[in-house]
Amino acid sequence: MIEQFQHFFTVLWGLATDPVNLLIVFAASFLGIIFGALPGLTATLGVALLTTLTYGLDVNSALLALLGLYVGAIYGGSYPSILINIPGTAAAAATAMEGYPLASKGEGGKALGLTTTASTIGTLFGLLILVLMAPLIASVALQFTSFEFFLLALFGILISGTLTSEGDALKGWIAGFFGLFLACIGRDTLQFFPRFTFDMPQLDSGLDIVPVLIGAFGIPQIIKVLAERKKLAQAKEFDSVVPEFSEIRKNSKNIARSASIGVGIGAVPGIGEDIAGWVSYGAAKGAAKDKSKFGQGDKSGLIASETANNACIGGALIPLLTLGIPGSAPAAMLLGALMLHGINPGPTLPVEKPDFLLEITAILVLASVAMFCNGMLLAKQVVKLLKVPAPLFMPFVAILCVLGSYALGLNVFNLFLMVPIGIIAYWMIELKYPISPMIIGLILGPMADENLRRALLTTEGDLLPMLSRPVSLILILIMLVVIFQQMPWFKSLLRKCCSAFKSQPNKEEA
Amino acid sequence: MNNSSKKYTNATTLVLICGVIISILVGVKTISTDADSYPRRPLTNVVVWSAGGGTDVANRVISAELAKALGTDINVTNKPGGVAGSLGLSYVNQRRSDGYTLVGLSESCVTAAVMGGWAERMDTWYPFIIGGSPDLISVSANSPFTSVEQLVAYALANPNKVKAAAAGSGSLHHLNLLAFAKGTQAEFKFVPYPGSAPSQTAVVTEEVDIVITSMAEQQQLIKSGQLRPLAMLTNKAFSDDDIGDIPTALDVYPALKQHLPITQVIGFAVNADTPDNIKVKLTQAFDQAMQSDKVKQWADDNYFVLSGKSGAQASDVFSKLESLFGWTLEELGAAKHSPAKFGINKIDAQG
Repeated sequence: MIEQFQHFFTVLWGLATDPVNLLIVFAASFLGIIFGALPGLTATLGVALLTTLTYGLDVNSALLALLGLYVGAIYGGSYPSILINIPGTAAAAATAMEGYPLASKGEGGKALGLTTTASTIGTLFGLLILVLMAPLIASVALQFTSFEFFLLALFGILISGTLTSEGDALKGWIAGFFGLFLACIGRDTLQFFPRFTFDMPQLDSGLDIVPVLIGAFGIPQIIKVLAERKKLAQAKEFDSVVPEFSEIRKNSKNIARSASIGVGIGAVPGIGEDIAGWVSYGAAKGAAKDKSKFGQGDKSGLIASETANNACIGGALIPLLTLGIPGSAPAAMLLGALMLHGINPGPTLPVEKPDFLLEITAILVLASVAMFCNGMLLAKQVVKLLKVPAPLFMPFVAILCVLGSYALGLNVFNLFLMVPIGIIAYWMIELKYPISPMIIGLILGPMADENLRRALLTTEGDLLPMLSRPVSLILILIMLVVIFQQMPWFKSLLRKCCSAFKSQPNKEEA
Repeated sequence: MNNSSKKYTNATTLVLICGVIISILVGVKTISTDADSYPRRPLTNVVVWSAGGGTDVANRVISAELAKALGTDINVTNKPGGVAGSLGLSYVNQRRSDGYTLVGLSESCVTAAVMGGWAERMDTWYPFIIGGSPDLISVSANSPFTSVEQLVAYALANPNKVKAAAAGSGSLHHLNLLAFAKGTQAEFKFVPYPGSAPSQTAVVTEEVDIVITSMAEQQQLIKSGQLRPLAMLTNKAFSDDDIGDIPTALDVYPALKQHLPITQVIGFAVNADTPDNIKVKLTQAFDQAMQSDKVKQWADDNYFVLSGKSGAQASDVFSKLESLFGWTLEELGAAKHSPAKFGINKIDAQG
């Protein structure tokens, strides 16, 4: 154990004292933040582009660049979420729930500072678990078969629907199912049957997530800000970005819970940062004593989602390094990059390269330090954007939206997609339907659809295994609780049960 | 002060965006030169799959050796996207046929036409084949099957009961499964997965019973004892210090030889109308590169079987695959256009 620690610090020291490596990790992390912050440029795309560029570097430097960018991009998505209520990446959608109200109240700087700290703590916590628990988590991740994946996807949609709607959870679920419908468009992946494609070749591969994400969040926000002629958000003159450490200390339980959720979700292949943010946000809301502040700028909600989405990175690396199965989309790109450098992640990696896990941990520690420094420096500057008058700033955002939608496949069709989605989203918001469940539905739709049908294919149409497998049974029970909690009779039943429990001893006394 | 830093932030953001957009958009410009003095400047190898994938890695390894043999640099870039790599294919196809732009491709590219990616056939290329990793059948370590004979006997007695994973419908591994089923007359229940890795995981979690993917993809799981290899789907049996001996199913069921082997084909190509003297120079350099220790060592380490075919021989391999893939997809109802539309004749695998 001590030898391992020694080796870890030697590697860390070796990397940190090389000026070229420092330059690489800081530049990559900065680039990552920009990628995350610009709608349309995602962590996955960033890692993909950088993979080609780092081919000539040695393994450690290349990994520094790639992981620096990955960590930075997951964090950078929070900037536009907080400042303009348009998530830069799907991972930061839950961050907008509390971050934007905070910025509107004039606490944008503080929100960014908290986000930076929470992201750093989340990344480091994720690493700790990666090192300690990798083999254990990997074996649990193997409990997931098609049924579990289907239920997990359904759970993600359900929970985001419950959390994001103001008042009526039914509206959130309707939005989620609308997202599921959007996910059906295109040729289905199992049998290539065209669904809702109307013989348009562009619809064959389904809707791209990025233009829908940008259209659904960006366009309504642009219309709203310009129509209401209001300022984007307040920026106080002396709003400090340095977080109060009392705030962090107060949230230590919340941070530990969110980080564990993040790592756990990251470790399950196929789902990633976006779900992690939502689930841990929901857990924080459930645990809070005063729920009324949620949605109005509650700091613990902000901390929860940002800690979890960064902790997810460590989680996503667990199945990648131990099983050779990437835990999230950017991790899949990372797998490619590793193979390019002659490293084959998988069960035999600890045998072939016993120190690799420690090396990658050291690299990630350095990457999160770089992210923290870059974040703190940038946050101060970025908050000033809020001082730009909205009529000048929003058209610029609109151009960014168009560029972002087009840049990802250089496909003009995505622009035709973005605008109608944006208009639909605007009306949905006006009718008080939340947007996020729709996006989550689109992201998780293919997973739900494909896995349910594959599961039924393997069981010859039998649904019973869903109840006999332990993980799927637990998922079903959780979902039932989530649904029934929205029904008055169930709530009153719960309350009656609770009060009966409490009052029983009293009765006996009487 | 506030104003200037605000401008500064805006300006940097803009410059960065422009940078990113430009780097995405910029291709590589080529200027025509005299064929005799080829190569006078660096070549570009445009790989149609993304960086880090099998096709990309193989092309990077061979390009480094090819560059030595030609005495110039070769820049490897990636242009993934479209249907079956059609974006990269049509990009290179539209370049000048001067031998300065290569396209790095794999067997899956032969479906680009029938899947609606573009309207060219494989005969538009002059190909060079590096090789590929052979396919094999494996089961979970806990499976009752310990030999391919047991598996086939069980499948014959219980048609459609053995669940088989082999990546997606119409993939190379699916074609192998179809051919295996045809040759042994056993019926398997095919369960599609989005790729080789999820197919293998499905066997490890025992969601399905058998998996057919390539040796390169399975080696880790076999070495760690999570997969048990039953049989190769190649002409020769397999033997390796780390993995052990694996018999070939073709010896056990000679009828399989009508349909198999269908192996992965990774290589690169230039436009077919490239001047002959350039083709000759490229072929010489390719032969030299294939003989290099680096390439041989890499192939050994990665369970890759080298081919080295070029020109007419390689075209033959690709046109057979084109027919096989095209017509299989057509029968699955997955093809967008009938292979007949492009004049692709139906032939038997080993025709």
